[in-house]
Amino acid sequence: MIHIEVAGFATIQDRGRIAHQRDAVPVSGPADPFAHAAANALVGNAPRDATIEIVGLPFVFTSDDARVVAVTGRDVRVTVRDRVPSWTSVFVRSGERVTIDGAARTRYAYLAVSGGVASDVILGSRSAYPRAGIGRALQRGDALRLGQARRSAEDAGHRVQFEYGDVVRAMPGPHLDRFDDGAVARFFAEPFVMTAHGDRQGVRLEGPSIAPRSGEILTCGVVAGAVQVPRGGQPIVLLADHQTTGGYPIVATVCEADLGLVAQRAPGESLRFYRVERDEALERGRALRRSLDSA
Amino acid sequence: MTFTPRVVPFGERALFVEVADAFSEDAVAWSRAIADGWESGGSGVAVPAYASVVLRYDPDVLEASDAERRARELIAAVRRGTARSGGPRLIEVPTRYDGPDLADVAARSRMSVDELAATHAGRDYTAYFLGFMPGFAYCGRLDAAIVAPRLLRPRERVPAGAVAIADGQTAVYPFTSPGGWCLIGSADIRLFDPSREDAVLIRPGDRVRFVRT
Repeated sequence: MIHIEVAGFATIQDRGRIAHQRDAVPVSGPADPFAHAAANALVGNAPRDATIEIVGLPFVFTSDDARVVAVTGRDVRVTVRDRVPSWTSVFVRSGERVTIDGAARTRYAYLAVSGGVASDVILGSRSAYPRAGIGRALQRGDALRLGQARRSAEDAGHRVQFEYGDVVRAMPGPHLDRFDDGAVARFFAEPFVMTAHGDRQGVRLEGPSIAPRSGEILTCGVVAGAVQVPRGGQPIVLLADHQTTGGYPIVATVCEADLGLVAQRAPGESLRFYRVERDEALERGRALRRSLDSA
Repeated sequence: MTFTPRVVPFGERALFVEVADAFSEDAVAWSRAIADGWESGGSGVAVPAYASVVLRYDPDVLEASDAERRARELIAAVRRGTARSGGPRLIEVPTRYDGPDLADVAARSRMSVDELAATHAGRDYTAYFLGFMPGFAYCGRLDAAIVAPRLLRPRERVPAGAVAIADGQTAVYPFTSPGGWCLIGSADIRLFDPSREDAVLIRPGDRVRFVRT
């Protein structure tokens, strides 16, 4: 078990609840899928294991038994007696207090404990989606069961290298024909700034107008990474908790490997979209996965 | 002009299939049949809507080109008319016609409140698809005599169980949430319950009947 002493705002997330989208149940899962995958890999967990996603920091916990843990995310700070590196597997002794904190740009931190969080599986997933009564935010005093530890003390100290760049790979979207060539060109060339309107559902960006030719489309299913453009011309990038359907034209789709680059940008920071086709998007995903092989 | 169905990538792990560019019951049924075929064939998860369906697949298991070929085959196969086995289920929704927009909608529709309730409850609807929030089923079509555009200013808080109408459709809100539809009634039913094996009460394709209480 781990015991939570300071909860911030944190939820349990695994890869997501993919099988119930027809029931309009959001996929959920980590807002930054690569940081979640890296944390799991660093502690020897399987990709489907659950981590704790922390939005409001700090987060403080202790563990009943010794465990290898890893914390990932942007600019996260981890203290176990002394400051220890993030994106690195760390050995934590029984009863030792672990504090996870961040800096100005930190949005989502991921805590993986070797063995994974063994919370109840609801509709095929451990991912919390409190809005629909699926799981809840963690609270001080919560005790969470863990799976069987998969790594021992000697197996700590692994590290994953990752930089949160400002270039986001995106494929042309399913409604490209709703946008004139100039709008599409601007979307893939100009910088966009993150607004303060962002959460696990999606983020609003501000930049040159890329208004669609006609604002009306029939509501359709959508995926994480879809870049919707309402009539006003300012894009919205959908993230983990997005609704399963949407009614705005979609100019592009951020490739899964780069979702975290969007999710982790702080308000006021800018980013650019770089146009890729499917093969390049897939290759980027494979390259990131390979970078976890040595973790 | 006839619309040729199109299959385009939707990110690197899904396809977007569009079967029509306008609403029709036929397009809804076609989209749903493609979704059914995709899922029953084990290709992945599908999300149908009015005239399109998102087909998800795992590119490590199914090559994109194979996924596209399967999608095209399905579009043609289900078009030739594979009737649903068993027929649709009928879901009854006990409804009190007591919504805050009831009088307004009745006036717009040149009906009495009682006539509006009788008209709304007087026909069976088809659940086109689910979206917006878990368990929210877009059902249609409303009697054309009912005039109910979306609210210009959506409410910040629509209570769970609110029976709503807008743009020729009707639905019940599964959760308290913001909402822009006209509220004409309320129902004490649980549309989404994650502890049930069948988490949603109304599934795409079901017949839905509002019963006055």
